[in-house]
Amino acid sequence: MTQFTGWLSQTSLSLTIQTHEWVIPTVQSIHIVAIGVALVSAFMIAFRVLGWTGSDQTLAETTARFWPWLLGSLCVLLLTGVLMVVGEPARELLAFSFWLKMCLVAIGTALTWWIGRSSARPLTVLTLIIWVSVIFLGRLIAYDHIWGSWSHSPKA
Amino acid sequence: MVAFAESLKNKGDMSIDGALSALEATRLAGSIRNSLYLFPFLESLHVVGLTMVFGTIAVLDLRMLGIASTRRPVSRIAMDVETWAWMAFVLTAATGALMFTTNATVYYYNIFFRLKMAMLVLAGVNVVMFNRTARRSIERWNTDATAPSSGRAAAMVSLLLWIAIIFMGRWIGFTTTRVTGSKPDPNINIEDLLPK
Repeated sequence: MTQFTGWLSQTSLSLTIQTHEWVIPTVQSIHIVAIGVALVSAFMIAFRVLGWTGSDQTLAETTARFWPWLLGSLCVLLLTGVLMVVGEPARELLAFSFWLKMCLVAIGTALTWWIGRSSARPLTVLTLIIWVSVIFLGRLIAYDHIWGSWSHSPKA
Repeated sequence: MVAFAESLKNKGDMSIDGALSALEATRLAGSIRNSLYLFPFLESLHVVGLTMVFGTIAVLDLRMLGIASTRRPVSRIAMDVETWAWMAFVLTAATGALMFTTNATVYYYNIFFRLKMAMLVLAGVNVVMFNRTARRSIERWNTDATAPSSGRAAAMVSLLLWIAIIFMGRWIGFTTTRVTGSKPDPNINIEDLLPK
């Protein structure tokens, strides 16, 4: 992986991102805007299952409204996420927070799909916890040293 | 808080710079600075809060613009999201204020921080104006696919301002250096904190 991050950091796209200081903050800002859409889309489905919002609608109607927006924002997140990885390969790919976050994004997406169709309440609470954890882990990539020896991120 | 008032009195300095450094000197600010985990924790909660503020407000704005949820009455959408938006705003403001104390002078003079605060005020003004105009007659357009022009303008201004606020916030992080009294201790590993 260290070899791969070394190679990736020398690609022309990576070098372009590294030499233009505005790119990373801009991409991160777009990433956060998309997180807002993704998080609230997942929450609106979960809140409907829990009966906190949208009681004038069926769960199917709520899912039909928010699931496409969750998928759309996840596409934006994937694209901006890839740009961040290419721009700072070692910071992201060697971080324990990054890989745990990726696992939880996959689980969170699958769980949100599931509860939007089955309205399983305990799973819904778990879904909320997972999405909040995803945000925490995203921010913790910048502080990956808190994981001690589990982190291989270069900047301590 | 007592320490904060004391240091203001002792310095006899009511200037803004004096207040800012007094704020930085409080025990609260010090303990956040000296903790390895508190600042990242506050930042994470701040992101959870601000993404919820933006996301919930966007649901209402997109409804008024006729882009999403157009078959539901606007007032229903507002009922669904407004409480969550306010709760998330309180969380975001509180965590933001705590982070501010750790490095108050630097943030206060940061241009992106100032722009962000100005935009937050504008977003507030926008809500007040909307409540005094289009919202007064909501019964008349509640079930229409789009709000009247003043409502659509308010929704558009709201979306643009909140996106800009997110950008400013991220730029604050890139234009200020975090003051920290804590350096990660290479001898402490997460494994040590876990049961063997």
